[in-house]
Amino acid sequence: MTDSLSISVPSKPEYVSVVRLTASAVASRVGFNVEELEDIKVAVAEACTNAIKHGICEKGENFDVKFFLDKEKISIHVIDHGSGFSCNQLEEPDLTSPKEGGLGIFIIKSLMDEVDVISNMGEGTIIKMTKYLGEDI
Amino acid sequence: MSLKINTILDQEDDLWIVDVIGEIDIYTANKLKETLVKILDEHNTSIKINCLELDYIDSTGLGVLIGALKRLKQENKNIIISNAKPNISKLLSITGLNKIFVIQ
Repeated sequence: MTDSLSISVPSKPEYVSVVRLTASAVASRVGFNVEELEDIKVAVAEACTNAIKHGICEKGENFDVKFFLDKEKISIHVIDHGSGFSCNQLEEPDLTSPKEGGLGIFIIKSLMDEVDVISNMGEGTIIKMTKYLGEDI
Repeated sequence: MSLKINTILDQEDDLWIVDVIGEIDIYTANKLKETLVKILDEHNTSIKINCLELDYIDSTGLGVLIGALKRLKQENKNIIISNAKPNISKLLSITGLNKIFVIQ
């Protein structure tokens, strides 16, 4: 049985912390420990930051955050309807010449067990992430 | 959710001490950026970021620190991160930034 809930969030920086706290509360229902909750909060916040940075559209539309709770895992989808970006541009951080941007998706992939980024230019972006209970993959 | 920043120049060690209190995310990162630019304009020397009361930092906050480090490296100066809590140390280590900042 999967429970789901979703929130629609204004594309404004001040709302990222609201999603972060919501994610923590929702994930604690599944039974994650404090460190895992922290990972989930950071990963969700990075996805929201990404949605606000790359998803800004003229109408100032909201983006959506959907949570899917299972006995042994949580999946979170962050969906924006913005400009999208080319997934090919994603690269691992190069420490010989560190850049100011581009760390967000890398951080999400490091903290969550499964991550899927679907982005199409002009159509927006979906970042799907899953964390399993009690195992480090 | 907010960020408070205190800066003081330690003249003996020629070092900026920057206390960051609260959270650094997409909402507050700009405040940090403006502060760092201002103090480096005033006096371009190494910065110690005191994270004792920092609860959270995200990629935009780390980006600001990388930007400042780039500027400092031109003059062989550094950014020192001190008193980082475990969640912040973890982020520094998975991004590999613990190798480019000085960690205390």
